[in-house]
Amino acid sequence: MENESYVKIMTEWDIVAARQLGRNIAKELEFGTVDQARITTAISELARNIYLYAGQGEIRIERMNVYGKCGVKVTAADNGPGIQDIRKVMEDGYSTSGGLGAGLPGVRRLMDEFDITSSLQEGTTITAVKWIR
Amino acid sequence: MVARIPILKLYNCLLISIQWELDDQTTIQFQEDLLQKIHETGANGVVIDLTSIDVIDSFIAKVLGDVISMSRMMGAEVVLTGIQPAVAITLVELGIHLQEVLTALDLEKGLETLQRELGEKAWRTNPM
Amino acid sequence: MEKVNQIVEYVQTNRVQIVTDWSEKLILMDKQRAANVISEKVYINICDDYLDLLMNSYDSQNKISEFTRKIIQLGWTLGFTMDCLSAFGKIVFFPMAEQATEREQVEFILEYDRWISPINIAIFNQYAEDWQRTVSLQKIALQELSAPLLPIFENITIMPLVGTIDTERARLIMENLLQGVVKHHAQVVLIDITGVPVVDTMVAHHIIQASEAVRLVGAKCIIVGIRPEIAQTIVNLGINLTKVMTKNSLQKGIEAALEMTNRKVISTEE
Repeated sequence: MENESYVKIMTEWDIVAARQLGRNIAKELEFGTVDQARITTAISELARNIYLYAGQGEIRIERMNVYGKCGVKVTAADNGPGIQDIRKVMEDGYSTSGGLGAGLPGVRRLMDEFDITSSLQEGTTITAVKWIR
Repeated sequence: MVARIPILKLYNCLLISIQWELDDQTTIQFQEDLLQKIHETGANGVVIDLTSIDVIDSFIAKVLGDVISMSRMMGAEVVLTGIQPAVAITLVELGIHLQEVLTALDLEKGLETLQRELGEKAWRTNPM
Repeated sequence: MEKVNQIVEYVQTNRVQIVTDWSEKLILMDKQRAANVISEKVYINICDDYLDLLMNSYDSQNKISEFTRKIIQLGWTLGFTMDCLSAFGKIVFFPMAEQATEREQVEFILEYDRWISPINIAIFNQYAEDWQRTVSLQKIALQELSAPLLPIFENITIMPLVGTIDTERARLIMENLLQGVVKHHAQVVLIDITGVPVVDTMVAHHIIQASEAVRLVGAKCIIVGIRPEIAQTIVNLGINLTKVMTKNSLQKGIEAALEMTNRKVISTEE
């Protein structure tokens, strides 16, 4: 579909590819520079999560147009081990990988809408939306 | 093949200007290279210029923070310069504050900051 | 179709009576809201206008928007307008249905609804549209007066904040602030919050974030204009502002900023 692009995340390089795709789309949609950085950074965090915890998955980026509001929707989907305690990963400073633990709560702050579903052994899907102001 | 970020030596300081998007491998390679260089030269000041960087995610921020602590441990003070407004806002919103890190608007101001922090030491060619 | 004609005919022949009854009802309904500021004549006019809409020109968008604008200017809420229009239905329906059989009554209701609904819906749409336009215009107006950045000395700039700060505005302020710092090459920025009426946890949080971001781009931030009540709320709320430099007045702030850039103001000798 024309409105949707995706990057498969399998190696660390794909993280860079995913955020480049995100930046290009954000630029095309004429987001401001700060919002471009927010979107790109959020994609980077989501892609890294896939790489670190699920091994592989994909990042989908969609252009949105709902009731005249334009925006971009980022979906990160994997078939990894799933998240045991979603509440916990949404806490600032919680990390199982020795990182800063800013990933998911950070993404929620960077984007306007955020949703996460996960089931053990089946995988995790995270969607985040940013609207053009 | 991992791209390497060039590290320049100026008197007793190291200058690094990161010119392209950082990926994880480059970032980690950079951490090793910089520490090695500090060890070789005995530099006591480092300026890392990030003017061309438009994304810093939590991983890169963590490595940068680590590099700064490690450099300090080895006796070199680090100043980050040229962080773009968009990057600064994103970092703060991510919840990454890089507390205790010296910053300056640009390379020139960064060198001035180092000079102030280190006094004469920054410009002495031969640390004794 | 026949029934519609019947209704229209009934309304036409009894128009004067209906307008009187209806406007009286409206005055009763409205009294609870506003003290007697609007004269009775106004209600009668509105009722008359509405009947005009019904009788003549219910497909004319212009007439409908004109009518809606009048209602909005009167300050009628959408809820009250809806109440008014349903009151009209009762006034017309009850006298007409008095002698009718139950079956006829149902037909009346259906026909009446078919006749009047498009107009009422058009009025409500127009009302909502006008309202939305007002809101978006105000939003733009608010953005225009959002946070200018003023360079006052070399390397020192001031951002005076006026008015309530919400999340959206806070973001704009932060972006203006940082872009300005880089553009003007500021070493110190003063954020003046004298004009901010309430500093709650959220506002304080935004101010702290802004000053953190300013530090990251390589400048320093001083919050000035901390009034006593603001200092009290901040401490009572348990907000930690110690990481941010604060001064009570703009003057003190400027002095500190000059000091930080190795300058000071001295009086010249006569």
